[in-house]
Amino acid sequence: MRVSGYRYLIALLLIGWGCPALAASDAPVDQTTIEMNRKANEACYACHSAAGIAKPPKADIDMSKLKDSRLEPMVYNPSDHGVMDCRECHSKTHYTDYPHAEAGKRETVGCTDCHAAKVLRLEPQFNASVHAKVQGVKEKFTCFTCHNPHINIVQKRLKDPAKIVAQDNHGCLECHNSSEMFAKFAPEGEKTPGLKKARPDIDTIHDWLPNAKAHWQSVRCIECHTPAVAENKMLSHEILDKEKSEKKCLSCHSANSTLKARLYRHMVKDEQQKYGFTNSVLLSNSYIIGATRHPLLDSIIIALVIATLLGVLLHGAIRIVMSLRRKKEESQ
Amino acid sequence: MSERVYLLPLWIRLWHWTSALLIITLTITGVSLHFADPKLPLVEFSLAARIHDLAGLALVAAYGFFVIANIVSGNWWQYVPKPPGVLDRCMKQARWYLWGIFKGEPHPYPVTLEVNFNAMQALIYWFIMYLMMPTLLITGLIFMFPQFAPDRVFDMDGLLPVAVLHYLTGTVIVLFMIAHMYLGTTGHTVTTMFKTMITGWHEH
Repeated sequence: MRVSGYRYLIALLLIGWGCPALAASDAPVDQTTIEMNRKANEACYACHSAAGIAKPPKADIDMSKLKDSRLEPMVYNPSDHGVMDCRECHSKTHYTDYPHAEAGKRETVGCTDCHAAKVLRLEPQFNASVHAKVQGVKEKFTCFTCHNPHINIVQKRLKDPAKIVAQDNHGCLECHNSSEMFAKFAPEGEKTPGLKKARPDIDTIHDWLPNAKAHWQSVRCIECHTPAVAENKMLSHEILDKEKSEKKCLSCHSANSTLKARLYRHMVKDEQQKYGFTNSVLLSNSYIIGATRHPLLDSIIIALVIATLLGVLLHGAIRIVMSLRRKKEESQ
Repeated sequence: MSERVYLLPLWIRLWHWTSALLIITLTITGVSLHFADPKLPLVEFSLAARIHDLAGLALVAAYGFFVIANIVSGNWWQYVPKPPGVLDRCMKQARWYLWGIFKGEPHPYPVTLEVNFNAMQALIYWFIMYLMMPTLLITGLIFMFPQFAPDRVFDMDGLLPVAVLHYLTGTVIVLFMIAHMYLGTTGHTVTTMFKTMITGWHEH
């Protein structure tokens, strides 16, 4: 997330002056524009897709160079940027010749050009993040490191919590579960001068967490590795290290689960206590011990236990009284 | 002078006390997990989860041992209420618990080597040991390995019916345990039945 001051200023001024092309908007894009953009993108897919690489449109191009710039329409189209022409970001001027000029890569539009206001708000959070605090790591980070603009779908559009978890955890585990990727960002190890810090084993550092693998399938890493979040507010971009991250199970595993403000934030407005269950929007995806409650059933069960205890106490008391009476009668 | 009879072999007593300790542990940790609340200081959640898992697996093992030993020793027959007149004998036993015991009347069906349980006891033990316990343990195992739970039920997580069944059967076992401990005081003296379960010798 490298954003220099002057780019901020320009982007903010452009937004202020109402430059729609450079300001990200939630307004829906009309169908004609989408179809026009997708038609234009077909020219890119002719090479930059599995089918294109298998059957190149031109014979004299080295297709092996495209292995890292391959994309499928079925993946890109549903993504948040999937309504856009590839050339909105990838320069309209440098992609007319084949193979493309190197300048095209350098002039790819950055996130700030459209998302300036958001970046302005998020940058202090990122700067406090573990990724920005380690010497030499911050410089290697861009928005793309965690967010793939060709694939990612925003939470409220993706809707299904399982898909959100899979998408967001992929962003973390791509490095934290791959020594090769981790080494690209890792600083020098404190105990190993001259050598990169070794990737901590993901299972070992989470061995305090019961059923860790079940957690990774049901919740995102950022549920615990970001600071507390207020209701209806976006999660912070401050990624917390293991010392600062959430270790209190009850944050999620209680009736007032913080998951309502995190993974299920987009669903909370639909909470209807379905079948009498508290946090039924959470239950639509996962039964969460401590958070999934049925107040009526709980009350009945507590009442039954109390009634049984009182019943045996009363029975015992009557036995004692009657036994004393019998003894008294016998002695008389 | 009261009569003594060697009623309970060592395996039953060991199984009983092991199960008792495990069920008490599972009750405390289960309550800590289900009613988890920062304002309710019970067993810390992650510790409760680990203990509950381990104690649950131990209870599965203890139950497996009970079933096999019951078959091998023929003890399973004690859990079968023998007709005719099962209902009448149950009524007579219930009347004793609700009235006769207060009047100091003797047990209507004293324990013998051949018949360890009265009809009501046999029926309840059968219900607990052959219906509730397997349901509790199977749902507990599915809880531990949720990949075996149905994917979706009523448009909700498929673990829901498993969890609810686990909760309900767990409650039945807890209610049984409270009543069972109390009824343990209804022997010849308050401590007679507890001593029997320790020594194996029953005192009439």
